[in-house]
Amino acid sequence: MKKFNVMMLAVLLLLPVAGFASAKKKAQKEMFQWRYEVEPTVGQAKQGMAMVKIWTYSKKAKVAVAQASKSAVHAIIFKGYVPAANGMRIQGQKPLITDFNAETEHEAYFKDFFSDGGKYQKFVTLVNNGTPGQGDIQKVGKEYKIGIVVVVAKDALRKELESAGIVRSLGSGF
Amino acid sequence: MKKNYFVLALLCVSLCAFSQAKKPTIMVVPSDAWCIKNGYVQTFDNQGKTITLPDYKAALQNNTDLLLAISKINEMMTERGFPLKNLESALKTLENQAAEDAMLTSKEGSEVAESPIDKLKKTAKADIWMQLTWSVNQVGPKRSLTFNLQGLDAYTDKQIAGASGTSAPTFSAELPVLLEEAVVAYLDNFNAQLQAHFDDMFANGREITVRIKTWNSMEDGLETDFDGQELSEIIEAWMADNTVQGRFSTTDATENMMYFEQVRIPLFNDKNRAVDARGWVRGLQKHLRDVYQLESKLMMQGLGQAQLVIGEK
Repeated sequence: MKKFNVMMLAVLLLLPVAGFASAKKKAQKEMFQWRYEVEPTVGQAKQGMAMVKIWTYSKKAKVAVAQASKSAVHAIIFKGYVPAANGMRIQGQKPLITDFNAETEHEAYFKDFFSDGGKYQKFVTLVNNGTPGQGDIQKVGKEYKIGIVVVVAKDALRKELESAGIVRSLGSGF
Repeated sequence: MKKNYFVLALLCVSLCAFSQAKKPTIMVVPSDAWCIKNGYVQTFDNQGKTITLPDYKAALQNNTDLLLAISKINEMMTERGFPLKNLESALKTLENQAAEDAMLTSKEGSEVAESPIDKLKKTAKADIWMQLTWSVNQVGPKRSLTFNLQGLDAYTDKQIAGASGTSAPTFSAELPVLLEEAVVAYLDNFNAQLQAHFDDMFANGREITVRIKTWNSMEDGLETDFDGQELSEIIEAWMADNTVQGRFSTTDATENMMYFEQVRIPLFNDKNRAVDARGWVRGLQKHLRDVYQLESKLMMQGLGQAQLVIGEK
């Protein structure tokens, strides 16, 4: 009986840890589906930087906010963004990688790059400490759609991809 | 024996790894339209017809906005690992060389040899021109900047990259600020297209143009018969055998001249050395001399244009 009580206690203590691990796994899984929208924002980013508003989706608002940095870096690398449609004539930007297969060809590199605490962090800065602006928290069905403004150091990011051998530099081969 | 093979293989690998294609030079210039609009032109009378040409030197000496734009583009291109030739420096070098040539005499009193063609070729050169145009639009107190940057291949006349657009209207920003913002906003997209052009070059070879002519001492010109084959056919056959995947277009062909466009040449020869238009057409020159005993004169312009005049040296 005493043994049974000890085991029950252990299970009860471990339950929140398992729950947390499962939630983290779920958030990570949601992350790698790369569900986001990207748009240029009003305001001129400095040379070599890109200022964008990134819209992420999640059932938990906290998770959606946490995804913003990774999604923004992913967008600059693989998607680029179209010019602003609000009449502000803000230029769009082509993605740093134009080869559609690059993400799967260099899967191991990008898995490590976008992992929690991965290298991606070096290239992104949250504007206003990642606090969504007015009207940037929307409820879409059962999910939250949250818009965060971030600045991505695109020139430094390109250099990182060049040194990893994923993109060619303009002068390479000559 | 095995060791020898290993050393040979290692040598081949290292040769391949360190071979570099000939790097094109790029220079930023203001467009003719911009120079004319801003009055930086030279006009002269050519047999009754007034010719207007851009005066780059005057533009660079008087327009600081132009200097700023060129400097910003040069700075960003250097950052991307592709330093550009600077127009102002190129013009100064030309002037210095001309002054030196004029003063140069040998101990016996001879002057430097210079043909009319040599004189004609004394201009600022680049393989790719980045042609820059901008204009300021004013609506009431609001101003915006229309910006156009074209990357033009000096030999094929093709636009290989471009970026253009109009900035957001502003009440307060000054022209240099608008210009700097435009360069920063547009140059990355321009470079993406330039990179695509280089990628295509590495995959499919360098695109060049070739002009074949004959001296008037050659009686039948390119219709000269060699064992039932006209000289023009022989040249076309050589082109087909030596271009990348046989890719070239014969744009013009008469008894005296042939003009080939979209000629794709390999970046390296069989000795793994980098090749340009002149080096590649030298193969044709040798072929005509060795097989058909035809002498010819080979001339070039940059990496991508060569001219072969057949019949004499």
